[in-house]
Amino acid sequence: MRVMASYETRTRRFSRAEYERLIDLGVFQPGEAIELIGGELMVAEPQGAAHYTAIRKSAKALEAAFGPGWEVRTEGPIGLDEDSEPEPDVAVVPGSPEDYSRAHPSRPVLTVEVSESSLAVDRQRKGSLYARAGLADYWVLNLVDRVLEVYREPVPDPAGPFGWRYASREVFDASAWVTPLAVPAASIAVSRLLP
Amino acid sequence: MTQAARPVLRRWTRHEYERLIDHGFLDEDDPIELLDGLLLVKEPQHSAHRTAVLLVAKALERAFGEGWFVQTQSPIVLGDRSEPEPDVCVVRGSPRDYVDAHPTRPALVVEVARSGLRLARGRKAAAYARARIADYWIVNLVDRVLEAHREPARPGPARRHWGYAAIETLGADATITPLSAPSAGIRVADLLP
Repeated sequence: MRVMASYETRTRRFSRAEYERLIDLGVFQPGEAIELIGGELMVAEPQGAAHYTAIRKSAKALEAAFGPGWEVRTEGPIGLDEDSEPEPDVAVVPGSPEDYSRAHPSRPVLTVEVSESSLAVDRQRKGSLYARAGLADYWVLNLVDRVLEVYREPVPDPAGPFGWRYASREVFDASAWVTPLAVPAASIAVSRLLP
Repeated sequence: MTQAARPVLRRWTRHEYERLIDHGFLDEDDPIELLDGLLLVKEPQHSAHRTAVLLVAKALERAFGEGWFVQTQSPIVLGDRSEPEPDVCVVRGSPRDYVDAHPTRPALVVEVARSGLRLARGRKAAAYARARIADYWIVNLVDRVLEAHREPARPGPARRHWGYAAIETLGADATITPLSAPSAGIRVADLLP
């Protein structure tokens, strides 16, 4: 009998509990930019000046838009699920820093990735992962085309890398304004996010 | 602008790999091998695979004779980021020569592959070629042939990764001679389950 040779390279997956233990044991190099995505240890995109500027600008704009009672985290870990601990470029969570001294937040109301070379991964792989976790508002700040891509309405999709995707995708250029789902009264100029 | 649809996976060093084992993240018996920094899950051991491994080991022991030994599914070291466990490999000397460190330069490496054929021809061939393994065989259980990969070649205009410049496919009725045992002749039929 002929068998199709369709075997994909599979690597050892890690649970979030294992990942956190590896960090505690100091197995990784200091300052290493890694994230646990669906059990896989991903190397984060190297940060150029534009990338870092976009993170800082977005954090400031979101702090102003959300106001008190919200915490804007930059490149902080999110305890997303059993086998994922991503570090989105910016994430807005309820409360204040001390609320998360014992465990990472798990459900940001807004998650932002700044994308240059990681555009495909941020759209497809991370989009599917965040949709699976039910994150309602996911923004990809696309530095290649200088637009903001807003993803909403998570829906199951067997074709997605993690079985989910966002049903709604809107693209805003630098002249547009955007309103986060969690603060309907706020309005942010996309130009305030772009580097 | 290049866009990776697949994430860039973190690569592990051999030292880190050993720490994973020491801390109990990996067990000696786990079907995992470190290849080019990736912790690869090995092809499941179905009975035909196991049979082929035993047949190859037996044939190679006979072909190489004194001064060599044959190890099955045991680690070899190919550099800082690779510690694979090929199905079969032939190493110079005797087992006691490697009490303190794994062998690094096998004379012949053999992988038995069915579902793992792409991995054996791709990533594994690249890692073995880069380590200058001169003789690499794949017992291809899908087509019931032996693929002899020789002449390790560096990346260049013709190839994006390390690989083998000479690949010969031999049917069951053919005979093959290992590069390091020039007077031996092995019938491919004797290697197939």
